[in-house]
Amino acid sequence: MTRKAAPPKADARDRLRRVLFLVPYAVRHPGVPVRDLARRCGVSEKQILEDLDFLLGVGCPPFAPDDFLDLYVEGDRVHVALHQSFSRPPRFTESEAAALAAAARALGGEGRERVVRALRDAVPKDRRAIFEELLACIFAGSPPAKDSLLGRIEQAIAERRALRIRYFTATRGEESVRVVHPYTLAQRLGHWYLWGHDEGRGKALPFRLDRIRECAVDEKRFEPPTDAELARGRLFSEASGPPVKLRLGPLAAAWALARPGQWRVLKRDRKGGAVVEVPGVSDEWATRFALSFGGDAEVLGPPSARRHFGDAVRRALARYP
Amino acid sequence: MQKAERLLDLAALLLRASEPVSWREIQEQFPEDYGGSGEAAIRKFERDKAELLELGIPVRWVGGDEDLSAGYLVDKEDFYLPDLKLAPEDLALLYLAGSAALAQRAFPYARDLAHAMNKLSFAARAPGASEVAAVASLQLSADDAEEDARAESSARLEALSAAVAAKKRVHIVYLGAERRARTERDVDPYGLYQRGGAWFLAGFCRLREDIRSFHLGRIVSVEVNPAAPRTPDFTVRKGFSLADLATRESWEFGVHAPVRCRVRLDGPASPEERDTFGPRATWKESDGGVVVEVEAQNQEALLRHVLSLGDRAEILAPRPLREKARKVLAALARRVS
Repeated sequence: MTRKAAPPKADARDRLRRVLFLVPYAVRHPGVPVRDLARRCGVSEKQILEDLDFLLGVGCPPFAPDDFLDLYVEGDRVHVALHQSFSRPPRFTESEAAALAAAARALGGEGRERVVRALRDAVPKDRRAIFEELLACIFAGSPPAKDSLLGRIEQAIAERRALRIRYFTATRGEESVRVVHPYTLAQRLGHWYLWGHDEGRGKALPFRLDRIRECAVDEKRFEPPTDAELARGRLFSEASGPPVKLRLGPLAAAWALARPGQWRVLKRDRKGGAVVEVPGVSDEWATRFALSFGGDAEVLGPPSARRHFGDAVRRALARYP
Repeated sequence: MQKAERLLDLAALLLRASEPVSWREIQEQFPEDYGGSGEAAIRKFERDKAELLELGIPVRWVGGDEDLSAGYLVDKEDFYLPDLKLAPEDLALLYLAGSAALAQRAFPYARDLAHAMNKLSFAARAPGASEVAAVASLQLSADDAEEDARAESSARLEALSAAVAAKKRVHIVYLGAERRARTERDVDPYGLYQRGGAWFLAGFCRLREDIRSFHLGRIVSVEVNPAAPRTPDFTVRKGFSLADLATRESWEFGVHAPVRCRVRLDGPASPEERDTFGPRATWKESDGGVVVEVEAQNQEALLRHVLSLGDRAEILAPRPLREKARKVLAALARRVS
């Protein structure tokens, strides 16, 4: 995965927040590589080395550095021994806790309010009111319904137990029972997916959470996936087949292009309409998507998608004699 | 002394002290920074104290009594991150929700969220499998193809997050969908919500004198009122609920007076299909299918939703909307034939 480093910002607060994590983390993990610290903090290794330099200059008054902490970098590994003042990071700030709580509420599950309470209690006492106020200002999405299933799925992930699920496959319109080793949950384009190894198919696959009808946690425990297996993981397979081409009217284009998605704009007219290409979607998806603009969009190609769209329009029209 | 250094030294001093540290003592320890007797030194210290508080370091003043001298201290109990004492499945929820949110990059308080995720490993016993799952989630949820667009919107989202927290008015340039016109307006930012994978700003629009939602992808620029950063510019109107606004269906945004509409769906409706009509829809079984009834304040939007369900769905009432459906489909049929 290529990931750009966060934009550099020489903010004193940012540095402090980082070192308040770095120090206890390095104490707990003696000899942690600089690279690892950089990855965890989302900054460059150079930045981490600068932070460590900064720490060397810091001391508890009367400012003898060794009074504060003993820190050295050996090769690329960091060793820290220190006064116990900074052996644990500070409590969550209200915005840290609120962001995490908002994310938890959007995922849902029976545990979500327990989790929100625990986060609230981990904020300093006199900041808790601000935490509540801030949390009310973020709504990160409606949870994927079916709380009861989610609790069991989370338990299975945490305990590495297999799951037996009844799953609805939308493209075939049918249900099947699968045994899955649940590796993780992930979110893409507004939907939640369970990603795990499907025993029957012998490979890791995504399952949309709102299409899991039932699930039961098995006694059987599974081996954790290897790092390599995780690194190869994809929610969607690479786009195959020709991309679908759509004509969007001005209104449809304004809505569609502001949404996340892999659009390629082929043409843009003066009134704001557009011709776009979308890779890796089914004919069925293209038809539904075009119709959701109520006449302001149509499927242009490839021929099979155009046919699918035309058939759907004619059949729907037949309902309005 | 540099500010970051001064703040950390101050925190170290107060954390190590077994008794409250007097102002005089603090001045002695930091002669260059808080030296002198003027108001300026006290104001500088108060600003630093406020910053420490925002970093999660609760510095407070205690008045002295017979046993204890007056001064500043950091309550250890209130400083160190406690164990959250969560069951494994609840911990998994936190890890997975946090990682997936982080992977979006565009998430309110995204930087704070990253710090929170780091701290989480100290606040949980044996996160083991959950931590591994979180790394996987982060990777699966990320979308490299959209990286640039997200980096851009995450900067706007960060500015708006800060404005929401501090209740500061923002000046935005907005690209409307309907008229495709650029407008500039002042907005009191009430909150941020996500719907269908996109973020929206909700707030009181001073141009329209009403609560409005703004699609983040169409906010061209954001300027936060720079005056008096710690003083709020507005109070949120009574009765405002972000969740209500965020879960409103497209046909529930008031364009006209409410109209009862009925839609027929053939075959049994799956739970997902039912979800798409929202929590306020009512359902009735009706010979081999279902009839759903909703109150629409924007019938066009309902029409679009029904059309997207294809030939399984049909508008039954009101008659003009049914007629509109026929016209739209007939026009499309002419184009594709």
